[in-house]
Amino acid sequence: MSDVLLTGSPARHIGKAKYLLVAMSVLFAFLVHLVAGPESWARIYPEAWVWTIAQSLTVGVKYVVNDLSVAGVTLAELTRGLAGIIELPMLALQGALSEGFRFYQADGSVIKIASLPWPAVMFAVVAFAWRAAGIRVALLSFLSLAYFVMFDLWQPSMLTLSSVLVAVFVSFVLGIMLGILGYRSARANAVLMPVYDVMQTIPTFSYLVPVLLLFGFNPVAAMIATVIYAMPPMARVTTLALQRVPANIGDFATMSGSSRRQKMWMVMLPAARQNLLIGLNQIIMLTFAMVIIASVIGAGGLGGKVYQGLKALRIGNAVEAGIAITLMAIMLDQISRAIALRRPDHLVDQPKPLFQRYPLVNITLVVTLLLVVLAQFIPALHLYPKSATISTGSFWNDAVLWVSDTYYTQIKAVREATITYFMRPVKSFLLILPWPGFIAVVTAVSYAIGGRRLALMSLSLLGFILITGYWQGAMVSLYLVAISVVLTLILALPVGIWAGLSTRADRVVTPIIDTLQTLPSFVYLIPVVMLVGVGEFAGLIAIIAYSLPPGIRYTKQGIQNVVKSSIDAADMAGCTQRQKLVNVQLPHALPDIMLGINQTIMFAFGMLVITALVGTRGLEHDTLVAISKVQPGEGIVAGLGIAFLSIISDRLIGQASRNLQRQAGRRPQ
Amino acid sequence: MPHGDTQPSAETLIECRSVWKLYGPGADRIASRHGQDINDQILADAGVFPAVRDVTLDVCKGEIFVIMGLSGSGKSTLLRCMTGLTELSLGELKIKGVDLKTASRDTLIDIRRHTMGMVFQDFALLPHLTVLDNIAFPLKVQGKSREERYAKAREMVELVGLSERENYWPHELSGGQQQRVGIARSLTTNPEIWFLDEPFSALDPLIRMEMQNEFLRLQNLLQKSIVFVTHDFDEAIRLADRIAIMEGGRVVQIGTPEELITHPADAYVAEFVEKVPRSKVVRVRTIMSPADASLTAKPVHAGDLVGDVAERVLSGEGAVPVADAEGRITGSLKAAQVVAVLLNKEIPA
Repeated sequence: MSDVLLTGSPARHIGKAKYLLVAMSVLFAFLVHLVAGPESWARIYPEAWVWTIAQSLTVGVKYVVNDLSVAGVTLAELTRGLAGIIELPMLALQGALSEGFRFYQADGSVIKIASLPWPAVMFAVVAFAWRAAGIRVALLSFLSLAYFVMFDLWQPSMLTLSSVLVAVFVSFVLGIMLGILGYRSARANAVLMPVYDVMQTIPTFSYLVPVLLLFGFNPVAAMIATVIYAMPPMARVTTLALQRVPANIGDFATMSGSSRRQKMWMVMLPAARQNLLIGLNQIIMLTFAMVIIASVIGAGGLGGKVYQGLKALRIGNAVEAGIAITLMAIMLDQISRAIALRRPDHLVDQPKPLFQRYPLVNITLVVTLLLVVLAQFIPALHLYPKSATISTGSFWNDAVLWVSDTYYTQIKAVREATITYFMRPVKSFLLILPWPGFIAVVTAVSYAIGGRRLALMSLSLLGFILITGYWQGAMVSLYLVAISVVLTLILALPVGIWAGLSTRADRVVTPIIDTLQTLPSFVYLIPVVMLVGVGEFAGLIAIIAYSLPPGIRYTKQGIQNVVKSSIDAADMAGCTQRQKLVNVQLPHALPDIMLGINQTIMFAFGMLVITALVGTRGLEHDTLVAISKVQPGEGIVAGLGIAFLSIISDRLIGQASRNLQRQAGRRPQ
Repeated sequence: MPHGDTQPSAETLIECRSVWKLYGPGADRIASRHGQDINDQILADAGVFPAVRDVTLDVCKGEIFVIMGLSGSGKSTLLRCMTGLTELSLGELKIKGVDLKTASRDTLIDIRRHTMGMVFQDFALLPHLTVLDNIAFPLKVQGKSREERYAKAREMVELVGLSERENYWPHELSGGQQQRVGIARSLTTNPEIWFLDEPFSALDPLIRMEMQNEFLRLQNLLQKSIVFVTHDFDEAIRLADRIAIMEGGRVVQIGTPEELITHPADAYVAEFVEKVPRSKVVRVRTIMSPADASLTAKPVHAGDLVGDVAERVLSGEGAVPVADAEGRITGSLKAAQVVAVLLNKEIPA
């Protein structure tokens, strides 16, 4: 920056031209606003101009799936057959964990094999947790599993666990394969990366519809949707992890005369295992979140319980299942994290015969066998007796009633005030804003930040939303996200700064945001609906709650990452606390804070989709409706709309942050 | 210690002929268009950077050949060309008569499995394997049986003195220990040519010294042909039979440590040798006067380092006779000559 200022080089003139362009676009928007009447085409995009790609897509997809047949087999028959195969490992796991097996004989008789007794499953999980993550996590696992049993949630929990395990396995294997492809071929990587971008930003509901069409309304469809969702990050992580293996290790493999395959499987992947396992931890959490969301297309299990509970406003059931989800999330996170971070130790990991190396496995096998035999005589071991289950459902229902009775006026006052003075004005502003003006301003800003490429991207993505007829929905989505982000930042920045400055505050804040971030987005809806009911205000609260942690985390890290010598220099120059914060720490932390803002927006878009379940009205609503009407085209196009909005803001803020870093003389990450 | 007496035998293991390595966009195109007629102007115009330029040298059987240069001099790139890790742009490079440029992938794999061993600067140990498994790894790649692998690996682990720790993981070892593993691993396949790429640069000075001694001990035992890359001139002097000094991709001078000190090719080399204590490099033969029959004292050897005989010469009276390897008297050594070396004075050609 400094040399530009000193020399007044051409770059400076371009900089000025950019601001002029933005100013002109704003002026243009204002003029359109003045000229256009309330019903003008510039405010409401005419129906006749809509490119009906969504409807055509629906017809096309339905035709391909149901009617197009090759050798008398339609695609739907094929994929459902495939689903039957994919279902097998899941059924096997589920059967072993909770359902048991039934084999129908030709003569009509049924052979039943009971599932493993629940104490055996419990013992195995706790033993595994102990071995992998230590006594603390083992205890946590024990309490979680005990909770599932006692609250009569054993079967849904085991269903969810089975789906998660199978989906994680499939995503892990596929992700590694694609990751290797991306690592080996730069060309393949260049194709795969943008595909992953779209797969990760498109709302999950969008691809639930095609999956629904192809695989039906059942847990397998949910699992496949989950794999689509969780696989791209694993592929990314794999490529990245392989690229991060020190070059010398690869050279060593070559120098020892390894073939290409030996090098990959005996050296590169094992050497990258720590990062791969961290990726595994991530996909376990993503998978888990998605399995819950997939209850919308019949995943059942714990997510199904929450979904049904919310739909029927039986809050008690939703809360109990929600707590179960929370416990399982924390349990899976802790165990897989411990495995990922574990480093071998010569005292423990001596080369020994298998049966000596893992004594807990042997004990678990013995205990299981014992329990299977005992369960023949003691049915309570096989199925936890209903009479011994607890339910707090009515307590929660009463609690909700009590809260809404007692604080009715206060909650209502806050809600009404927020809606009247904040939400509604913003919403109507965005809705009456003429679209040519909006597009012009965004394009000009994109040009100012990232040049021609970014401007072209914003223009075409917004154009797509406009001509497909989803402009109004997009503005409603945007308004909710914008308001949520502003409110989130108002909360997150001070907390983040405080935690960054004070170790004591950090010690309180960090565990809380860690825990919050392990929770699947779905869970956030429960308390919100309990307290404020359904509607856009509920959506707002849910989005704020969900996107708060990343905002806080990045701000905190930004402050903490300020180079020590800069702080020392500020201290030695005699800065007061406030001067130091304003002049040194905040400017240095700005790039990190920008990243945090970016993450906050991404999280807000992520949660926005889910808030359709509590009655928000933007594009997310369209995707949800598309599921119930089985309209894949509408679902995908509306979903792309949300994806495009989030991609635009991601690229703009990302580029702006890189520009700032360059100005600050730091190498952009 | 390497001895100046042992002249490298005639057999050449590595032959580099006008080797170039170019980097940058269009490097391959430039190389194929201009061939050996390439020059600075062409390179500058094309924006191509020559990491190695026009290097011709031989590495002979049984010698310790050190490539010494500062960072960016192209020394590591040259080593990588010799191992086939980097493909050279121009010229010819043969390992035991096999041209690396035209060798098939299988031939290269075969050469690497049986002829080459390599030690890396930051050890490059496989983090997921124990010490023993790391050392056995090159044999595993060859598909050798478990028993055979471990038997050989135990032998190597003992050779580098880490038997106690064979079941440790790399991250549980100190830097010096890790490099011992790296050394053992590079020797498991009993390679004829041993490449070491700045093997001790990442270690503390004291450990570095210890490892240099260890290296010389092993070489005494195993008699490999060695290419050793370093940026440390003292290390080069200590270890080398011959040194190639590189600057800006070129080899500036090749010679024994003594030749470099007595006849530096240019100011660049001279600057390096200036600070080296001559008494630890210069041998008696280089500074002695013609034989003098009147001397009766016990002779010193022509191949001895001046520093090693200085005390004897200076504590006696007058000159001492010098004998060659067969015991014939070939010269005499005067106290003044020894003092001149000890004072790091220029040595008359």
